[in-house]
Amino acid sequence: MTILAFLIPITLGMGAVGLCVFFWSLRSNQYDDLSGDAERILFDEDRPLPAASARLSNTTKETAP
Amino acid sequence: MTGCQVSENIQKTSSDEDYQSSSTAWRKAEARSTVRILSDGRGQCVLSVPDLRCGGCVATIERTLSTRTDVVSARVNLTLKQVVVTFVNADADPTSVISALGLLGYPATSADQDQSHENDTDNVGRGLLRAIAVAGFGAMNIMILSVAVWSGAAGETRDTFHLISALIAIPVVAYAGQPFFQSAFQALRVRRLNMDVPIAVAVVLALALSLAETMRGGEQAFFDAAVTLLFFLLSGRYLDHLMRERARSAVSGLARLSPRGAMLRQPDGVLTYVPLSAIAPGAIIAIGPDERVPVDVSVISGSTDLDRSLVTGEAIPVPAGFGDTLEAGTLNLTGAVEAEVLRSADESFLAQMMRMQSEAETGRGTYVRIADRAARLYAPVVHLLALATFVGWVLATGDWHTSAFVAISVLIITCPCALGLAVPVAHVVASGRLMRMGILMKDGSALERLAEIDRVVFDKTGTLTMGTAAVGLGPNDPALRAAAKALALKSFHPAARAIAISIAELPCQLDDATEVPGFGVAGCVGGRAVRLGRADWVADISMQAKDRASPVFAFADGPAMAFDLLETLRPGAFDAVKSFAAAGIPVAMLSGDIEARANRIANQLDIADVRSGETPADKIAALNALRDDGYRALMVGDGLNDAAALAAAHVSMAPSSASDAGRTAADFIFLRDGLEAVPAAWRMARATARIVRQNFGLAIAYNCIAIPLAMAGLVTPLIAALAMSASSILVIGNALRLNPPEKPRETQALRHKRSEVLA
Amino acid sequence: MMSNLTSPERARAMLITGAGVLIGLTMAVLGRNDPMGAHGWIVLLFCGVLFFIVADKLYDAEPVEDRSISYYDDPTKVGILLALFWAVVAMGMGVWVASQLAWPDLRFDAAWSSFGRIRPVHTSGVIFGFGGNALIATSYHIMQRTSRARMPDQVSPWFVLLGFNLFCVVAASGYLIGITQSKEYAEPEWYADLWLVIVWVVYFVLYIRTLARRNEPHIYVANWYYLSFILVVAILHIVNNLAVPASFTGAKSYSAFAGVQDAMVQWWYGHNAVAFFLTTGFLGMLYYFLPKRAGRPIYSYRLSILSFWGIVFFYIWVGSHHLHYTALPQWVQTLGVTFSVMLLVPSWASAGNALMTLNGAWHKVRDDATLRFMMVAAVFYGLSTFEGSFMAIRPVNALSHYTDWTVGHVHSGAMGWVAMITFGSIYALTPVLWRREAMYSWKAVEWHFWLALSGTVIYVFAMWNSGITQGLMWRTYTESGTLRFSFVDTLIAMHPYYIARAFGGLLFFAGACICFWNVVMTIRRVPHHASAIDYPTTSEAMEPAVPAAE
Ligand code: HEM
Ligand code: HEM
Repeated sequence: MTILAFLIPITLGMGAVGLCVFFWSLRSNQYDDLSGDAERILFDEDRPLPAASARLSNTTKETAP
Repeated sequence: MTGCQVSENIQKTSSDEDYQSSSTAWRKAEARSTVRILSDGRGQCVLSVPDLRCGGCVATIERTLSTRTDVVSARVNLTLKQVVVTFVNADADPTSVISALGLLGYPATSADQDQSHENDTDNVGRGLLRAIAVAGFGAMNIMILSVAVWSGAAGETRDTFHLISALIAIPVVAYAGQPFFQSAFQALRVRRLNMDVPIAVAVVLALALSLAETMRGGEQAFFDAAVTLLFFLLSGRYLDHLMRERARSAVSGLARLSPRGAMLRQPDGVLTYVPLSAIAPGAIIAIGPDERVPVDVSVISGSTDLDRSLVTGEAIPVPAGFGDTLEAGTLNLTGAVEAEVLRSADESFLAQMMRMQSEAETGRGTYVRIADRAARLYAPVVHLLALATFVGWVLATGDWHTSAFVAISVLIITCPCALGLAVPVAHVVASGRLMRMGILMKDGSALERLAEIDRVVFDKTGTLTMGTAAVGLGPNDPALRAAAKALALKSFHPAARAIAISIAELPCQLDDATEVPGFGVAGCVGGRAVRLGRADWVADISMQAKDRASPVFAFADGPAMAFDLLETLRPGAFDAVKSFAAAGIPVAMLSGDIEARANRIANQLDIADVRSGETPADKIAALNALRDDGYRALMVGDGLNDAAALAAAHVSMAPSSASDAGRTAADFIFLRDGLEAVPAAWRMARATARIVRQNFGLAIAYNCIAIPLAMAGLVTPLIAALAMSASSILVIGNALRLNPPEKPRETQALRHKRSEVLA
Repeated sequence: MMSNLTSPERARAMLITGAGVLIGLTMAVLGRNDPMGAHGWIVLLFCGVLFFIVADKLYDAEPVEDRSISYYDDPTKVGILLALFWAVVAMGMGVWVASQLAWPDLRFDAAWSSFGRIRPVHTSGVIFGFGGNALIATSYHIMQRTSRARMPDQVSPWFVLLGFNLFCVVAASGYLIGITQSKEYAEPEWYADLWLVIVWVVYFVLYIRTLARRNEPHIYVANWYYLSFILVVAILHIVNNLAVPASFTGAKSYSAFAGVQDAMVQWWYGHNAVAFFLTTGFLGMLYYFLPKRAGRPIYSYRLSILSFWGIVFFYIWVGSHHLHYTALPQWVQTLGVTFSVMLLVPSWASAGNALMTLNGAWHKVRDDATLRFMMVAAVFYGLSTFEGSFMAIRPVNALSHYTDWTVGHVHSGAMGWVAMITFGSIYALTPVLWRREAMYSWKAVEWHFWLALSGTVIYVFAMWNSGITQGLMWRTYTESGTLRFSFVDTLIAMHPYYIARAFGGLLFFAGACICFWNVVMTIRRVPHHASAIDYPTTSEAMEPAVPAAE
């Protein structure tokens, strides 16, 4: 079964990628509010949120004067 | 308006407006002090919104708040029932956001950031999750390879698979095993044994043995067992952590009672907000109505009524005026006062209490958790058995290698995987159920201790009774009653509120009503002066009023009529006391209040063992005496004066209305009003203890089968893996029995009701 | 739709399609003595038509749409229509294949219409044409909505969608011409495979870029499922199609692996294709559209994440259960069995999670055929994974392998789960996408539902019966130890079941046609309707599915 020389490293590699992705998700607070996140998708407006950067410049504009 | 000139001794303090604004200023500043400054110069605060219920609430709140110009972003956390608001500026004012939330129908308070100190992120939990992920990754991959070996891969393939397994297992164990290695190491350093010692030994030996086997091309390697074991145990540990974390965040979501700062009168006469640490003795501070006294002070101007129930356990508010000393933590009810600071914050009454509490806690430090008690027995036995196996095999066969293999496999198969899970899983399930009953549990050891109690000690005020007073007796004449009600409605004093509630008649026309803090309410009805309040004050207009403890009502020169104030029992108090008595657990009451009031409540509830007028030190002494007599007492209390006693007791509970210190000291906090929570929690603890005992029984039974097999050298890695998984799953399954299946019908009906309410 | 592109974007689109035309021409010239030449002309035609569509609009006015406040839905719309188009074509093919098995004369004596050629048109057509387009279209929708952000550019979504369809066209036409590398579900030859790699990488990058732009910090779990689908399919595809072309001027290539090794790779791929093409992507669909349509959050979000990792980890090694009793070493087979059985746990967790979400909203399921599609899909998902785990056990497989039982299992998964969840999602999505109040005809949805359900049930039951009969007949011996039945005997026994299967398939196919018609009518006849919240949900959305723990 020399083919395993292929398949095992590939599988391990994919697992390792999965592990890294999980670490990333943990670091970026993906699991902090699971019940809220499950509910959120039910209440989306039918348009994108303004990008955070756009909002910031907006608010500073508004508060500047 | 004749007859109404009595108001000359109603000195209206010149700076009344000043106080009014100082009070709102204090409130604002207090809220502002919760705003944290982010690195980019923006402010951020965490608000606790207990009424958050679903995604609809999330959307409403986020949408409304993020349209405000002073808010950069608002993020709701539905799990913690919190909103994180990021402000444009660091000196933003959370009170306006709080009131905006109030308008939406979501009362909010600023969450206590002192408690959620670690920047809101739960680093321990994350570390554990990371370890679980690594162990899970390793376990999965090694399992694939091991299954291949078990199902017949032989020769070179097997050796290669063992080698790959080794390459995966070594880093995985090194990383994911750390929580156990560290804890085991710490225990060994102080010459103790805990559950982690045998775990660590087994894991390390399994790894070492398998490595040796791999090197010499042996047939059997236990990599799979070692890593799967870690995975299971880490999961148990994580759940345990999650449970404590959840309780902790729920507690920090409760409104904070003790103030963070005070309004200080500066030399130039201006009132400014300063944090507690900056208040020195001799300074003058202003305390408005409905504020808590931040440090120990003595009043220099103004008069008021104080609710000292949290501080001393006195149920009925007391008046205070010039020269009176107010302890930190007292609630100022009616009037604004200025007062001179007597002691700085870290020497105040509150701080003293905290010190007593931490001293009292050391008494409990000797408690050893049941799992560790088990480990103390278990570890030596198992290790001796392994040694005996080794010696036996060497004597019998003379083959060192086989002997070592068998001996180590004994250690591996007896590794307390099930034992390690037996307790935490049961506790996690129990804590979930308690939470659904509205009871927060701080940690698992509390549950163990609660199951053992043989005495219950209740505080009176705020625990057996509710803070609100009720009126026992009053005047009968409807006209008098209407006038009394009209007066009572003018005040927020708890007694006045109780009187207003107790009178069914409509209030009559009342003119010129004024509240005199510390004394009562005055006004005129039909041209005659009337007063409701302290007896000696009412006596100024009416002859017969003197010398009564309870509030008195009188028309000028008319007869005086007293209102008898009673305390209301907390709902469920009677049943709670009775169910302990029925279970043969004696109930006692320790009260800081005066004897008469204490006895009355005790009689109502059939509590024989009553002590009144207890100081905090008396309470600790009483609990220590119980402990010395070998009793294990459950203390239920709420006040600042109970905090130390809560810490001294074997285990303790407090209502969510308790003082901050009380909540910190208690092991359990019940969120709903009813006192049924106390026996309910106790029953839950007993049920959990039973499950834990059964789990130990299962684990022991498992070992009785496994150890002889292992000692006979019959255990292969496959058997080890199967046996360990099976016993773990058995234990988990048994623990799940604590969670009775929910009846979908019931919840459905409930849900319909709820949606009706919403509609 | 092209007018929604800015002129630089139109120019880029022309460049790409122009390059496609050149590639097609090159292939046509190089492969003029080989079937590959025909593919060259097909590529040329496909890209040429697109080139002219873009060129036609090149000088139209610049778009006025404010991109910061809108999602980019055009490719999604086209993707949905393409999916339905492929559904009709490929399921029609399925009916034809089924009928050929019952009445072999239906081949009409042509080479291209032989069973061996139109069967892969059916399988690739439903899996890639219908399933793939539906996955791409819904993923565009879901990644934008759950990120609350628009896709980063307007060209690459078109490139992915149309490029993928080019692959499908090349594949399907190749089968009819007789081009195949004889690996099931990976039949297309090397140039088509290379092309798919490019498309797939762009798809993955597009997905990641959209997520990177997200305005909602949390990445909803459906995105994880879609991402695993894209990523793993890419790797599987590359490894399984490692091959050396016999010549660059011809279609023929030789696999890099040989013998049982090749078989192992093929089924490592084959089963993971089932896992990551026909399962995780569609689970992503389920986790988004089911809560949306039911108006209540998924029963346990935590469980949906846990079962994600479970499915991803367990699936990787189950492929060998397709090779029981072959030259594959025994232990590799046992490995496959072990993991196939364990796979049942996360699979049932997902199905249970979906059904528990509906618990308490059964009245909606009763009234709403769209939601019923999703519920039935979850049920069939549970059934087919149970069946699969069961069939993976070697003694069971000894009976089921090579029989129609496998085909029954396939279609209880493919029709009952994959197609049902897709149709449900399309019905949920169409009104939102085209800003319509509702579907044109709810009665037609209702008809489709019952046609699809009865079609599936007839199909699956026919195949179970046929498969088990077949398997038992094959292993029946006479007293003297010889086989009791000849092969023709079994065929005769199959015949009624094949007719039943063709009939069930016809019902299912009719349903798909109704769906296509209904969607087209919704677009053309139902008045425009814009709502502030996408998927306006009714009051019950206000309460959590589970009594929220305090
Ligand atoms: C209109 C309904 C359908 C009909 C009439 C139909 C008919 C057929 C027929 C006759 C076969 C060949 C069986 C054999 O070789 O013995 C087949 C195979 C297959 N069909 Fe379908 N099918 C339909 C729908 C679908 C759908 C919706 C999918 C997938 C989403 C699908 C996926 C497959 C697959 C993967 C195979 C190969 C099975 C194997 O190799 O074991 N089919 N179908
Ligand atoms: C736990 C999940 C599943 C397991 C363990 C499983 C197992 C199996 C087994 C044992 C076979 C027969 C192999 C043979 O005898 O040749 C098979 C065939 C197949 N299964 Fe599944 N199955 C699962 C879920 C699914 C699902 C959800 C689908 C969805 C569409 C699916 C699609 C297929 C297809 C297309 C084939 C035919 C492969 C071929 O062409 O030979 N399976 N599966």
